[in-house]
Amino acid sequence: MMRNSLSFYLRLMKNRSTSQSSYMKPYQIISILFLLLFSPLSSWAQSDPDFLRSTGKIYSVIAVIVILFLGIIFFIFRLDKKVTEIEKQITNE
Amino acid sequence: MKSPKFWWKLLCIPLGLYVLLAGLLVPLKPGILGIDNYNAEVGGEFNVNVIGYNSNYDSAKKLRAYLRIDSSYVISHKGVKASSANDLNVSFQIPQYLPTQDSFASASIILDSEVDGPSVLPGIIHIVQNEIDQQLGNDLWSSAKFTLEPVVKGFKFPYRNILHETVRNTFFHVAIWFAMFFLLILSLFNSIQYLRLRSYELDINASSYAEVAILFGLIGIATGSIWAKYAWGAFWIADVKLNMSAVALLIYVAYLILRASIQDIDSRARLSAAYNIFAFVAMIPLIFVIPRMTDSLHPGNGGNPALGGEDLDNRLRMVFYPAIILWSIIGFWLSSLNIRIKNIAEKLIAKK
Repeated sequence: MMRNSLSFYLRLMKNRSTSQSSYMKPYQIISILFLLLFSPLSSWAQSDPDFLRSTGKIYSVIAVIVILFLGIIFFIFRLDKKVTEIEKQITNE
Repeated sequence: MKSPKFWWKLLCIPLGLYVLLAGLLVPLKPGILGIDNYNAEVGGEFNVNVIGYNSNYDSAKKLRAYLRIDSSYVISHKGVKASSANDLNVSFQIPQYLPTQDSFASASIILDSEVDGPSVLPGIIHIVQNEIDQQLGNDLWSSAKFTLEPVVKGFKFPYRNILHETVRNTFFHVAIWFAMFFLLILSLFNSIQYLRLRSYELDINASSYAEVAILFGLIGIATGSIWAKYAWGAFWIADVKLNMSAVALLIYVAYLILRASIQDIDSRARLSAAYNIFAFVAMIPLIFVIPRMTDSLHPGNGGNPALGGEDLDNRLRMVFYPAIILWSIIGFWLSSLNIRIKNIAEKLIAKK
């Protein structure tokens, strides 16, 4: 899983350098964020299959908080995009 | 001096710190994590190793263990030996007969000490008997004096078997659903007001609240799925509460699709306001009524208590209610940003 996600990341970076825009597209940012978040999780899971169940299942609570955080960040990304559009409109006038 | 208008936004800081710190750092009460021997026979000695959680077996002076069948037939331990704070060896002398007409009985193991208070692992030990004599069994199993120590002092969350630490998800999973209802009610109110007053700003309000509410609903489904995996064993099960809340969420996603598919501003506002009222009216029976009429694993349904009993005790409430306020404020804040951005965009279009 780690190797797959690494090759996915490298492909993303390659696409980035060949695309016209020098900025990363939102889906690229989100997928890299996911990658950074879940690659350590998957490597823990390999060493200990019951990692999320260890010490009274406390890490499943952490997973819940991470999802909550990601959801709110996703919404802030969307708001950010809308503000950028408005800024473009204002500067075009 | 006038207090600033954004005081409720500042409230997020203490509330957020309180919910995260208290929600994650307050320890659980002592409990029994597991045992290593599940099968006992009548007339023999039953020896079992108990693994505790947050317990203090080695420092307890009056540690007692009981086996209990049904709610009234109890025997006391023969010997207890603690090897560490969380490791205990208990032996019981099982009487010759069981207090039942069947050839087997399920017994709960109960530990009790003046340090930890009582902890129970229900119905876990399987005892078999060859001959049946219920009258004798009743007499043999009620010999122990069964008195439990008062509950431990200190601010601790309840220890629930199977749930363990995931009881803390109450502050995130359950509270985010409550915040979703808060936002949906705001959205419904604005939709009704739109149909009465036909002011376009009310339509923007209604859709902005609904967008954040749907985001919170999706977070609620995803977090609930994680919780289900570590409490019930699967990410999704064919449970009425889960399926009905997914349907309710889909009805609201259809609201967004409806809005996106209509070009004309006035008909979009009118239709989506009417649909929003329908969606809210459909959600109430889907989430609150139907799951209560049948069996469900989810707390709060089919005879399962949720906001009562031991699932939500007063200690949990002291963090749970602030958590509801916190996520409601954050939802309200996100929607108000959404509303302001949409209003600015509308003004720019109107200028052109």
